[in-house]
Amino acid sequence: MPADVQKSQPLRVTSSDGFLLGLESLMRRDGQGRHLAATVLECEGAPDLESISRMARDFGDRHPILQARVARGRDWIARWRVDEVVAAAIPVEIWHLPGASGNGTEIASLDELIDRCINGDDIDIFKPGPNLKLHVIVLSPDRWALVIAWSHSLLDAVGMTKLLQEFAGTAASPTGAIPEDEVSYSALYQEAHPMIEEMRSFPGWRVRSLKRKGGRPGKCRFHVVNFDREASAAIRAKMAETAGELLLLPYFASCAARAVRGVISARHPDEPASILLTLPVQRQKDPAKRPLFHNHMTAYMLLLTRDEMTDIRTASRALYRKYAGFIRRKLPAAMDALTRMMERCPSRLYNLPAFFYMKGEICSLFHSHTGSFLPGADHIFGSRVLNGYHVPSVCSPPGAGIFFSEHDGQLSMTLSWKDGCLSPLELELMKETLAEDLGVAVP
Amino acid sequence: METELIEILRTEVLDTPDPLTPRCDLFAAGLDSMGIMQLLLAIEDRFGVAIDPADLSRENFSTAEKIAALVAEKKAAASR
Repeated sequence: MPADVQKSQPLRVTSSDGFLLGLESLMRRDGQGRHLAATVLECEGAPDLESISRMARDFGDRHPILQARVARGRDWIARWRVDEVVAAAIPVEIWHLPGASGNGTEIASLDELIDRCINGDDIDIFKPGPNLKLHVIVLSPDRWALVIAWSHSLLDAVGMTKLLQEFAGTAASPTGAIPEDEVSYSALYQEAHPMIEEMRSFPGWRVRSLKRKGGRPGKCRFHVVNFDREASAAIRAKMAETAGELLLLPYFASCAARAVRGVISARHPDEPASILLTLPVQRQKDPAKRPLFHNHMTAYMLLLTRDEMTDIRTASRALYRKYAGFIRRKLPAAMDALTRMMERCPSRLYNLPAFFYMKGEICSLFHSHTGSFLPGADHIFGSRVLNGYHVPSVCSPPGAGIFFSEHDGQLSMTLSWKDGCLSPLELELMKETLAEDLGVAVP
Repeated sequence: METELIEILRTEVLDTPDPLTPRCDLFAAGLDSMGIMQLLLAIEDRFGVAIDPADLSRENFSTAEKIAALVAEKKAAASR
């Protein structure tokens, strides 16, 4: 055991960790599984199992949080109980596809492994034990994949990028807690007030999601589209022509919003429903200096009305204006203050304001564009990385999420939804709208 | 304007203690999509210039010098 483990103090969760714990709590209460994600790196050649095992041991020894549970103390603040655990290696499981010779257990497909990761119950943040697991799967004699299963309460995409950079040996991140000043509730309320007022305006816009009333949401389903370089270049060209070459966030978020809006319109053709995006904005001043395991995002709640979603150009311009307005009205700080105000509340109360103001909805969909995947590294564990993407699970509401990332000029898109929230026909409709807006076929 | 832009980039967008020069490659220094959006808002607030999406190219935003030239061009066009 490393000497410093015994001296570890419980690690207070951040306010955005609290927001994610709220989603975890919602999923558990409704039997929706856990808020997990899988990160997939497809690599060339054969896996170097010795290097992977060594990294799993070293990394696990350095980060006892990987074995810790989250618990609320007497002050009701949630903390990672790193003081209770003994650091241990990250578990590594070995798999191979039928016909691909290799160690470990045979499994039918990479998708089946991802399915097990995001719908599994072996990662439980409320009990001591692994919060992150590695799976190595041999896909063919010259191709393998590293699949990292992780709890969203442990990491966000910025944290995952840092973790992968440490795996790849290109960066080392600071660990420990982000120091937070003690602020009085009255001061927090003053700061949070603009966001509370903003949320009070949402019911008038009749926000809808893909949640179905009455039905119990089932397993998390997903569909990953890896666009080749030609298709990715065509998407970038269309984005440049429509929204400018550099505004990724409003363009891809508008594509996602319009795709969900298309399904909602088909279900409720007479309703002028609006789309409320909850965007995890992870870049607030110097992400590079932030610790590995404390989530860094602020939820930006941006609303698009029906009239603002007539086409992708109108939608992306409207979303940019909404984003600018959100910042100018100091709503990011207000949102942070609101989540800090709630940090002593039981997690099941986190979503209560949203449910209350929006009649049972949180937002219309989850979305993120996490940018360049594993920037600064083209190899990991001695193998060239051919592609990378994330597959997050989602809860209902909202019932679906559309996520993008890019690696070496290739764009990947993950559609993620809860069984019962999106029929096969609706999935096709969603893909059609995405194809129209992205300007390429979506298989 | 160039000096003010560099200060905005250094302290509000990239948040780096490292010095930036007018011709420094901003994308290599960490300027990304979110940073661009913060920068556009700062340009609107400080210089009263709204940049059209058509002008949002990597070429125009690759250095502080080029951004300053674009802002100056937009200011001149607006005052005509």
